[in-house]
Amino acid sequence: MTHERSEASILHIDLDAFFASVELLDKPELRGQPAVVASPTGRSVVTSATYEARRFGIHSAQPLAQAQRLCPHVIVLPPHMELYREASRRVMAIFRDITPLVEQLSIDEAFLDVAGARHLFGSPAEIAALVRARVRAGTGLTCSVGAASTKFVAKVASQRAKPNGVLVIEPHLTLDFLHPLPVGALWGVGGVTGEHLRTFGVKTIGDLAELPLGTLQRAVGDASARALHELAHGRDLRLVTPERDEKSISNEVTFEYDVADAEIIRRQLLQLSLKVGARLRTAHLVARTVGIKLRWDDFRTITRSRTLGEPTSVGRQIYTEAAAAFDELKFAGRRVRLVGVRAGNLVAGDGASAALWDPYERWREAENVMDDAIRRFGPHTVTAAALMKKPGRMVDPRTEG
Amino acid sequence: MKFTVNRDVFSEAVSFVVKLLPQRTTLPLLSGALIEADGSTLTLSSFDYEVSARTQVTADVEAGGRALVSGRLLNDIANRLPQAPIVISTEDGRIQVKCGSVSFSLPAMPVDEYPTVPQIDDVSGLVPGEDFASAIAQVSLAASKDDVTPVITGVQFEINENSLGLIATDRYRVAVREIDWENSMSGDALTALVPARIVTEVGKTFAHSTTVSVAIVSKDERELISFTADNKTVTSLLIKGNFPPVRRLFPEKVENYAVVNTNDLIEATNRVGLVLDREAALRFSFREGSVTLEAAGSEAAQASETIDAHLAGDDTVVSLKPQFLLDGLRSAHSEYARISFTKTDNPNKPGPVLITSQTSKDEAGLDSYKYLLQPNLLLR
Repeated sequence: MTHERSEASILHIDLDAFFASVELLDKPELRGQPAVVASPTGRSVVTSATYEARRFGIHSAQPLAQAQRLCPHVIVLPPHMELYREASRRVMAIFRDITPLVEQLSIDEAFLDVAGARHLFGSPAEIAALVRARVRAGTGLTCSVGAASTKFVAKVASQRAKPNGVLVIEPHLTLDFLHPLPVGALWGVGGVTGEHLRTFGVKTIGDLAELPLGTLQRAVGDASARALHELAHGRDLRLVTPERDEKSISNEVTFEYDVADAEIIRRQLLQLSLKVGARLRTAHLVARTVGIKLRWDDFRTITRSRTLGEPTSVGRQIYTEAAAAFDELKFAGRRVRLVGVRAGNLVAGDGASAALWDPYERWREAENVMDDAIRRFGPHTVTAAALMKKPGRMVDPRTEG
Repeated sequence: MKFTVNRDVFSEAVSFVVKLLPQRTTLPLLSGALIEADGSTLTLSSFDYEVSARTQVTADVEAGGRALVSGRLLNDIANRLPQAPIVISTEDGRIQVKCGSVSFSLPAMPVDEYPTVPQIDDVSGLVPGEDFASAIAQVSLAASKDDVTPVITGVQFEINENSLGLIATDRYRVAVREIDWENSMSGDALTALVPARIVTEVGKTFAHSTTVSVAIVSKDERELISFTADNKTVTSLLIKGNFPPVRRLFPEKVENYAVVNTNDLIEATNRVGLVLDREAALRFSFREGSVTLEAAGSEAAQASETIDAHLAGDDTVVSLKPQFLLDGLRSAHSEYARISFTKTDNPNKPGPVLITSQTSKDEAGLDSYKYLLQPNLLLR
């Protein structure tokens, strides 16, 4: 589809200093001061910084100790993930009141395609103002909006509009806006590629647009070259695609050798359950059913499913159900080729129990810490103790490499 | 079998027996009502292996015997018969019902295959009927309606010396009430978990009985509870499993609480809640002298209302689901209600809210009703 938009009807909306702003909602006395969100533990990093803190050179992903050196009186607020998820859920709901075409990119940003919302809510600029007013009224938070005829330009525009602003790039002005920007503003151009391009005399997006495709292909490889070339000319045909309602999330594994040992199968179920749980939490989903799948050595496959009282995204709880389903099979040492764990009946949710008591509260906290560690240090840094190959052989990721 | 029975007496008896029949059953036989005539007594029963209902009324029995007939059909017929004595007889494998100039001929179900209805002669203890009924009404609504977790679809009976405690929860709230118990068993402590659907029916059935006798027994490796008063008996199998230890969720002492006029708060909640989406919560801001209710719905609809409240302790804001609050307030059965706010260490989970009865602004209610409710997370 090569349909070009005549209007800046793709919005990129980004909440301003999201975690820090949520923290300040009930701490009005701290507004206007440099503040960061970070765990008050030893080697933590800044996860969000107010604009006042950014003036001191503080930014997210920076070690907290460094931030405190840059600004000794910076206020450190411990994170409350549940609050952020709840605020995010409300903001996304406000977006979906405007248009169903909402593509959530992360907890605090989304694309909206508002081409069809014109007759209801007006021009893209008017919709941008409306969304900002509704977010402000509904949550007390501010956001910045970039509007353009492509996703890429909308995203660049919202970054230029920050904080608490709107920037609409009319389609015929796209190249005027884009070309003076440094190449680093392009998606996919990190430090290394940027440095490499500079050796070809490419500093701005405009320079890149003028570079012949053949030269660019020699510089960065064929696939990247084509993508960058298109973007530099303001061409980006990607559509705003609302995440398809995922009906289930599953992981399965085929054993190298057929397995007849129930303990090994349970261990595998635990590993798969933890994976499924982590994927649910990343997607901000909770599951109402948990199923298992076993394929015997004769390739016959069976599935069993159990329903939960309260939907969950806790891997440990998924395992409890998966193990119970497995135990009900009265597995008598049959040889198994493959096992799988499936989370079904998914609904949006942050997994926090709304109940008076929650038997999995500690597991939930532990798994959130694990998610956090994996985000910061990469996979294979933390796992359940039961899944460790040899006791005490976890490598401290901070001392490695 | 042939007997004559008073129309109203019969109709009431049939309706009691049929009320506890399951909505659907895999065995058609179990949808029957068992009719037994003997001496001057007519016995009506229903039983589905889990729950039974049985009642005896006086009848003029010409020929003794027993028969099984579709319970719902018999109930529908009995309700619509004219005011005249009813004559019921069996003839050629059919059941004849005659009343004035009306007559019905119903197919008989195979009575010989009908299971034996449990008969329990023991008595574990006695409870006053009216208190029992009101305690059931207050507590059973908090039981879970979701069969996924069977243990919380029941009402937990906790017998301790001379009190019977009733407890139910659906995870989001817990309702508890204690009533007097006159012990007749050898021990003095016992628990039983009874399906809430049955407990609710028992409450309605025995609301006007002076005393209800309760028995908890083991029979053929099954645990049963029975309730008897006024020639009516209901039995039920107990739910297996352990009821969650929810009593420990209740705070010992709460300093921070508000007292409100129950009806004012019910009405305000209903009004302001009109703009809310299903499942959404209302925001309640308590300060000295007043509580303000605020709701925000989709399409930017908003509502607020402020009513009188007396506050002890700090100003407090809580977010509560209207239906859960209304259930607690209505069940307080008192002019005023006390809403207590508990503290919590978990920043991601507000402390539960406790509702108790209050006879006046200053005096706590005399009953032991307690309703604990989990508020929603407050965004700001």
